[in-house]
Amino acid sequence: MAVPHVKIVLRNVRSCRKNWSLTAEGIFCEGLHLVTGPVGSGKSTLALILAGLFNPSSGYVERDAVSSVMLSFQYPEYHVTGTTVEEECSSWGRDPDAILQAVNLTSKKEASPLKLSRGELKMLHLECILAGHYDLLILDEPFSSLDCFGKEKISRMLSHRFRGITIIFTHEQAIFPRVDHIWEIQNRELQACGKPPEAFLQWHNAPAMIKNLIAAGKTPKNLSPEDLMEVACGT
Amino acid sequence: MRDVRIRTCVAAVLSCVAFFSIEGAVAALTWWLFFSHPLENLKKIRVVFPVIFMIIFFCGVLELTGGGGVSYGVRMLTILALGTWLYVEHRRGEFLHLGTWLFGNRIGFDIGMLAEMGMQTLDTLASDFLWIRMAQKLKGKPFGVKNLVPTGLILIDRTIRRAEDVAEMLAVRGYSGGGTFCPEFEGSRRDVVGVLVALLFVFISFIPASEFFILYR
Repeated sequence: MAVPHVKIVLRNVRSCRKNWSLTAEGIFCEGLHLVTGPVGSGKSTLALILAGLFNPSSGYVERDAVSSVMLSFQYPEYHVTGTTVEEECSSWGRDPDAILQAVNLTSKKEASPLKLSRGELKMLHLECILAGHYDLLILDEPFSSLDCFGKEKISRMLSHRFRGITIIFTHEQAIFPRVDHIWEIQNRELQACGKPPEAFLQWHNAPAMIKNLIAAGKTPKNLSPEDLMEVACGT
Repeated sequence: MRDVRIRTCVAAVLSCVAFFSIEGAVAALTWWLFFSHPLENLKKIRVVFPVIFMIIFFCGVLELTGGGGVSYGVRMLTILALGTWLYVEHRRGEFLHLGTWLFGNRIGFDIGMLAEMGMQTLDTLASDFLWIRMAQKLKGKPFGVKNLVPTGLILIDRTIRRAEDVAEMLAVRGYSGGGTFCPEFEGSRRDVVGVLVALLFVFISFIPASEFFILYR
């Protein structure tokens, strides 16, 4: 029996608030999607709509074969339900020892998750989420509060995620995972830029580093640090 | 009501009248029904509904055990309705204008700023609560008694962190108490009508019911 492909279709979706609006139309198929846009452009609103937590003002969202959804909010403390770090790992249904070792927090397993620094809590939260399997995984600003090492680690984990739809909403400008599709919110509208590397030419607000490389005639294959390094250092 | 001075004064007077007698509560509730856009207010602050149910529950218990529950319930619900109206009508910065107008640029400014911070904290707490509920739902842990402790801890933690940030910001800007501020207010004809009717209702509430209903004697 053929395994159904997960897919999300946005049909004339429009969200309005006083003097602000966002329109979105497109298909999110399996793979890693990167959605960028300036602060206040509606990334979080779109994330909520895609997760089914917020109804658009008009239009609708079709979810094909999506049985499990997870949305990671920008502030990890909203997700906390455990009173200790160890309990918090267990509350996600994960093995606390493995998670705590991965994020180097074994010594703090009895501490309250809210006593961790924002960066530590974010790493713990993302590690717990990425250890699970979801048909639709949405990450709202996953790189905020993380240092470069943390961002690289999360990017590597995301690059190796093959199942389901993963959508990253971010205005990060330096460190990215290897993505399959790039989207951009521009002029209050979600626009599909396409697949890398062709997408880089359609990406209006691409990070300066990408623009500079393209201007120098060096187009990277993708966005990961390895891809950028390869093209930047290549002769 | 546009003028925060009139609005606060009317809310305070009507709350006192409602607290001291059932007649006063009925008069205040009638005023609230006609002058506060009650349905719109209640829609904007739905968190008030659990409080309403809680008051009704305790009034029922009081009525069954010792009596006086209905009177207490009407008075408390009226005060809650007036509080809801005052909260919904609030616009950012108003209490700073009011505080400075009442007590001057030193203590009045501080009181106004504190009140304003309190109102902003309430807004943020309500917003945080919604996000926490959504996050818990996603995690497969619907909001319930089990999640009350972690929810409370998150709300307290975020409030304290924000308070620390605000305190640091004020210190960095050289704040040590008081400030310079010129309060401004805008009124409308509806404000005047609202005050006059409120005063009339207050007056009526002090007249014994027997003066109106002859058969009641």
